[in-house]
Amino acid sequence: MAIADTAVPTDAFHEPGKRRARKLAGNVFIAIVLAVVLVWVLFPFYWAFLNSIKLPGDTFGNRWIPFLQFDPTLENWRSTLGIREIRQALLNSTLIAVGAATLALVLGTLAAYALARFRFRRPNNGTLTTWFLSQRVLPPVIFVTPFYLLMRQFNLLDTVLGLVLINATFNLPFPVIILTQMFREVPIELEEAAQVDGASHLEIFLRVALPLVAPGLVVSWIICLAFSWNEFLFALSLTTKDAIPMPVIIAGAEHTRGVDFQFVGTRVLLTMIVPLVMALLAQRYIIRGLTLGAVKG
Amino acid sequence: MSADTSTASLGKITQASRHGPGKRSQPIKWVFILPAIVWVLTFTLFPFGYAIYTSFQSYRYGQRVGFVGLDNYRRLFSDDVLWQDLITTLTIVSIAVTVEMLLGICLAILFNREIRGRSLLRTIVTLPLFATPIAIGYLGITLFYEEGGPVNSLITAVGGPQIAWLSSPNGAKAAIIITDIWQWTPFIFLVILAALQSLPQDVIEASAVDGSSELQSFWNITLPLLTPMLWLVLLLRAIDAFKIFDIVAAMTLGGPGRATEVYSRYVYLTARRFTNYGDAAAQGFLLLFIVMFMVTLLWSRIRHVYDDTPR
Repeated sequence: MAIADTAVPTDAFHEPGKRRARKLAGNVFIAIVLAVVLVWVLFPFYWAFLNSIKLPGDTFGNRWIPFLQFDPTLENWRSTLGIREIRQALLNSTLIAVGAATLALVLGTLAAYALARFRFRRPNNGTLTTWFLSQRVLPPVIFVTPFYLLMRQFNLLDTVLGLVLINATFNLPFPVIILTQMFREVPIELEEAAQVDGASHLEIFLRVALPLVAPGLVVSWIICLAFSWNEFLFALSLTTKDAIPMPVIIAGAEHTRGVDFQFVGTRVLLTMIVPLVMALLAQRYIIRGLTLGAVKG
Repeated sequence: MSADTSTASLGKITQASRHGPGKRSQPIKWVFILPAIVWVLTFTLFPFGYAIYTSFQSYRYGQRVGFVGLDNYRRLFSDDVLWQDLITTLTIVSIAVTVEMLLGICLAILFNREIRGRSLLRTIVTLPLFATPIAIGYLGITLFYEEGGPVNSLITAVGGPQIAWLSSPNGAKAAIIITDIWQWTPFIFLVILAALQSLPQDVIEASAVDGSSELQSFWNITLPLLTPMLWLVLLLRAIDAFKIFDIVAAMTLGGPGRATEVYSRYVYLTARRFTNYGDAAAQGFLLLFIVMFMVTLLWSRIRHVYDDTPR
């Protein structure tokens, strides 16, 4: 570190050679920790992948490298994707996640712009923001019964639409917090210049402000998409057949049939692949979203 | 004439930029905020109110029987199973969150320097955060498989005993805790790393120039600056950890026996399997009470983290 180097002259106790040895030892230590962390984080994914391309006979016995230690097969993938319920669940999950993310983004972006650009008095901006964020604090299990009874009332049980509405609600805090901060960072002069040109507020919002926060829009959408995809509690309590998404399909399957390692592999990967790709795409602003805007990581 | 209008509008702009447009009162702002307000009223406040109403009613076979006052709440105190599950949840949450905090903070401090591969590391560690919890729990069954599963293979390879992960009460608890640690340590790590990097560097550099050692300047400068953020991640993580449901539902179904039955699953089963909506609502509010208790306990310590954000 540069700071440490500038401090060297005042530090009379370390000769250069000793310092270099210590620095090397430090680097080796960090490299080892880095390697351990990477293996620890990635191993479960690799294990799922391995099982998905193994025949049942190859499951055990330290077979880690395809082609060298066992013959990989696509048979598991073929039979998993051949199951109609799984294809239906993939479709349901996609519809629920895209629908909920889009809905949350539209509502959240509008609210975020209002919170960033206008002053509210009763209730004021702070209260409104807290109000939108409170959803992250409420335990979702409180809502299981009310949502069940309401969805039953409106004939929305076991429908994709029902889960779209619920997931949009629970993910609303993400676009609100991420985009409020991003709209605040947009230089106000740009919007004023457009105002001079006679643009209406709606035009300024659509033509000036929105394009400038485009990265925030994309990332908010991606975060909502991933978390809607992963949602399990309401998917479990509100679906019975037609609207079952991936997380419900895989839940508890093994308790009735015993564990088929290769099908665990394919199903787990099919369920996780979309949110994992989203994680790679949404690098920026993730921390901002997850800490409700406290850390601008 | 045209010059006149332009000065007029210029004057308006300067006024706007001096006070910021936030000061202007414009009805258009309601067009932007109302959809979200209506949404939260409909899908959060109304169901929340409905849950309160439900908690004062008695249900039989999913049908409302009548108003029972505080009976559902009174029954909470005599429900031994509920308290047992609450203690199980507290055990799992406290161990998991403690380990996550310690690991996450140590890793963040370790990687808070210019090293190659740090951005790769940050990318890789976001993967667990987004991995579907129910899928991770399902995968956990195979990872913690007793006869020849990878975890036990590793342990026996280095001379350890074969651990009965999912068939013994403590093994099952440990498996769930380890899975939670795998999934959420990255959250602590990423937040603390981002917080460390947003600290005012000149203060830390100044202390280095003053001749204090790295450890001293960490202890005297960095740590106090970091403290509110540490309380904040602890609170956010603890709130989320208390909701634990998915991993248990996939990995142990609360077993063996009731060893890993967590509170949210108990409430869920009360509502959905036994259709005791009234009891379930009261149980849910006990959980909310615990969460709110944690929030109020820690809020004064973290309040000023948010002070620059909502006005």
